[in-house]
Amino acid sequence: MTVDPNITEMIHQEPVQAAIWDALNHYAYPDAAFLAERLFAEAPNHDTLYLLATCYFRAGRPIQAHLLLQKHDSPSHDCKYLLAKCCIEIDKLCEAESVLVGDVFTKYNSSLDEVEVEYGNMACHVFSLLASVYSKTDRIEKAVECYKRSLRLNPLLWKSFERLCQLGEKVDPCQIFQNTLPVADTPLPSFSIGVADTISPISTTHSPGLKLLNVQSPMPSINVIPADSINLTPDNQNVPIISQIPTAPKVTRIKKNNREPPTGLSKAMSRKTLFNIQSPLSPSFGVMPFDSSSPRIHNMPFLTPSPVALSETQLKDVEAPYKKPVTRRQNQNLVPKPPVFNFCGNSKSQDIGNQQSGLPNVRRSSRLFGNSSSVKENNKSQGNKTRLTSPKAINRKSKSRTIKSQQELNEINKEDYTADNKSYINDAPSQTQMIIHMQHQSMAGVLTLLQALGKGYQALSDYNSKKAIDLFSKLPEHQYNTGWVLSQIAKSFYYMANYHKAKRLFQEVRRLEPYYLESMDLYSTTLWHLQLEVELSTLAKDLTELDKTSPQAWCATGNCFSLQQEHDLAIKFFQRALQVDPNCSYAYTLLGHEYVTTEEFDKAMACFRNAVRVDIRLYTAWYGIGLIYHKQEKYNLAELHFRKALSINPESSVLMCHVAVVQHAQKKSEPALKTLEKAISIDPKNALCKFHRASILFAVDKDQEALKELEELKQLVPKESLVYFLIGKVHRKLGNTHLSLINFSWATDLDPQGANNSIKEAIDKRYSTDADDDDVIFGGNEGSFDPVGNLDELGEGPSQSDDNGPVFDQDLQAVESDESL
Amino acid sequence: MSIKISGTQTTDIFKDEKSGKLREVGNQAAWSLSSCKPGFGVEQLRDDGHDTYWQSDGPQPHLANIQFRRKTTIYDICFYANYKADESYTPNKISIRAGNHFNDLIEIEQLEMTEPVGWMSIPLKDSYDQPIRTFMIQVAILSNHQNGRDTHVRRIKIRSPTQSFNLSTTGLQNFTSKELQMYSVVR
Repeated sequence: MTVDPNITEMIHQEPVQAAIWDALNHYAYPDAAFLAERLFAEAPNHDTLYLLATCYFRAGRPIQAHLLLQKHDSPSHDCKYLLAKCCIEIDKLCEAESVLVGDVFTKYNSSLDEVEVEYGNMACHVFSLLASVYSKTDRIEKAVECYKRSLRLNPLLWKSFERLCQLGEKVDPCQIFQNTLPVADTPLPSFSIGVADTISPISTTHSPGLKLLNVQSPMPSINVIPADSINLTPDNQNVPIISQIPTAPKVTRIKKNNREPPTGLSKAMSRKTLFNIQSPLSPSFGVMPFDSSSPRIHNMPFLTPSPVALSETQLKDVEAPYKKPVTRRQNQNLVPKPPVFNFCGNSKSQDIGNQQSGLPNVRRSSRLFGNSSSVKENNKSQGNKTRLTSPKAINRKSKSRTIKSQQELNEINKEDYTADNKSYINDAPSQTQMIIHMQHQSMAGVLTLLQALGKGYQALSDYNSKKAIDLFSKLPEHQYNTGWVLSQIAKSFYYMANYHKAKRLFQEVRRLEPYYLESMDLYSTTLWHLQLEVELSTLAKDLTELDKTSPQAWCATGNCFSLQQEHDLAIKFFQRALQVDPNCSYAYTLLGHEYVTTEEFDKAMACFRNAVRVDIRLYTAWYGIGLIYHKQEKYNLAELHFRKALSINPESSVLMCHVAVVQHAQKKSEPALKTLEKAISIDPKNALCKFHRASILFAVDKDQEALKELEELKQLVPKESLVYFLIGKVHRKLGNTHLSLINFSWATDLDPQGANNSIKEAIDKRYSTDADDDDVIFGGNEGSFDPVGNLDELGEGPSQSDDNGPVFDQDLQAVESDESL
Repeated sequence: MSIKISGTQTTDIFKDEKSGKLREVGNQAAWSLSSCKPGFGVEQLRDDGHDTYWQSDGPQPHLANIQFRRKTTIYDICFYANYKADESYTPNKISIRAGNHFNDLIEIEQLEMTEPVGWMSIPLKDSYDQPIRTFMIQVAILSNHQNGRDTHVRRIKIRSPTQSFNLSTTGLQNFTSKELQMYSVVR
């Protein structure tokens, strides 16, 4: 029998492809790229092109991938998607959009529905990409629409949800994170990403899952649900997986015993399928039936069973079973084959050849957790120890828990394994059902967790800090003690201006996950607020060591120098943060604040405006603009912008304080007082509100109330010179000369230089008006000036009182009079 | 009235800058020189090195002009000179003039230095004893030590007081206690 040259071709191609995917999965990018280049030269078709582009992209060379894909202009979906992704990486948004939906300016422009149909299972990611393009180009409604669609297709895409919240869109987490399948018996939809190529190489390296997890026994259960067609798109038809079952036990056994799996068998199977699937194809040299092949390749997975039983599985997308952390309490019946959830990002939907063995790949290592079986009983309670496989989970897992649960799981697996193994072959239909059932359970578990997180995150993006903290603290402990969750809670405290608690939580994050980078810029600002120089410089040093290309590291460094009053250096570092990431809105804000401090208001204004351009809901940027207008004494504009900031973050007492000050400056003192009352009611610990209230009361001649306020303030903040200064002014107005002098002298004590030189002037004025009322006894600490001659002998200035600063806890007046003599 | 400075200078002029009361505003201005040798110009005058300097290359008086975009409050002007290194190139008599533009300058300060080593700070005050507010400052080197023709000027710093306007009405005061400072800014 003569072998069809096409088939020969494919025979040559497949092992190479397998090898390339293997190299990619083991991060041997130079190897993969070289092989891919050879393969592409041999057989230039869409798949090899895609493979080569993937090698470049994964190796961190998006520009190369982009040029390659552009040059060969392939209409296959994978290539288009990857091209769009490269474009976004290198900031060519227009091109990305035109690749995905067609040019904005041309007549032909796919609607979102068309996109959904066209890309099939990949559509969720396509929408995600599109939405990011739209949001960067100021088409917020379209972006929101795309994010919603992407979530509808795949509720596990957390980042879409996150971006929705950041855009200010009110979405209901319960609605979004919902399993859309009505019947519990139908298998879960799968994702369009085939694991074909990961699987085949993995078969040769048996039980890679072992190596990945450092667990003694393998996950036999994984192999039971190989190549699950888990379609999340309700549109897709239910694919029977019964065909897989017979093959499963074979591989399971193999895995368990650590023997060489029948790769020959698997490969043969794969080849058989290849013949079946790809025989219409003829990717021979030089002849490229581009158009016919690609659609078929992609449409195949979603059609009803193809000729060979296995081919179906191969075409389906694989997910690693979602593992359940088993505790002794739990129902052990359900343990044996927990499904493992996996998204392997290879878009080859064919040649899922050795799926059975190949589920564990490196990407799954952190995801082998599952739903607790108690999900059935109480879905949303804390007992639901769901572990999640969304990308962020990778950051958050603490290894010890991982391994512990695996081991627990494996113990029980081992016990049940032998028992169940025999039943496998006999029990095919119910096996299927059990598998489906478990898949549903794990999905339900994930979704529940996501719902809880989603609610918390949404509360946070609404700046509804208290609610956010409550919601997040309801999470199960192992989820709670992760970098992401803790830093969200820390952020909530930060927005409430409770810097001490925020700092403690951030410290905890640093302790648990020293590699966690996301919110560390906010941590550095917290330390800046608390003026903790040592910790801030340590943090800056650690972060720059961790990742020099992250904006957070440079923001932290900038904050460090700003705290040291080295504003020029701080500016330099913030600019560096912007160089590293031109879309970091927080870096713009911090840079703007530095310019405000160096009084370069035009540059500061430009920075704040840029920050708002990148992220319209960054209330600190709006505040910054308001601050500039305030300093330029354009009070109505200042109030406008402060109110805008307040509308975004309504619970910030600091913002309200500023609004009140500005109102007062516009002579609207009554509203100012009301605003301050509201601020104080929200945050009673904010001493500044009280201070401003006192000064406003003084300004509107409500002196007694002002005094009362100031007395309270004295207890709260004993070391603040301006408090005493204000009290002194009030007393002077009331005519209590002694008291006013005492307070002025205390004020000068606390602040000898008189950073507000007005203290000296006020005392000056006081002397020039009431020259007769000099009370020599109390005049001794008045400082170096000497308006009245008879103070000479006593006036040694504040220097002498610096050493023994007034003791504020005791009866102040008595002490003061002693000191002056 | 001229200021006389001689010998090694030991006062720390940077104290106020560190404490945040003064700020260098030279980078907000345009600098120009009456003449310079190639490679020894404004760059070298304004960089942070004590070993680089401006060397003039023309007739006396040598002029360094500092022009601001807006009327700026100037607290003082500082020179770094080193007689031991520059000998006859070290400036001896310096005149400081201020005004709106080149044809509007009046002398506000004269400085006589004898073998100076180190930083010198010359406060610029107007008749009310306040820091001057001006668009332009001109530093004129009238004569050098040992009657040298050209001059070396190593560094010039020009400083402005921070927050010179009265803030108590606007409410943006400088609080001394940490608690109030914490609440006073949103960052």
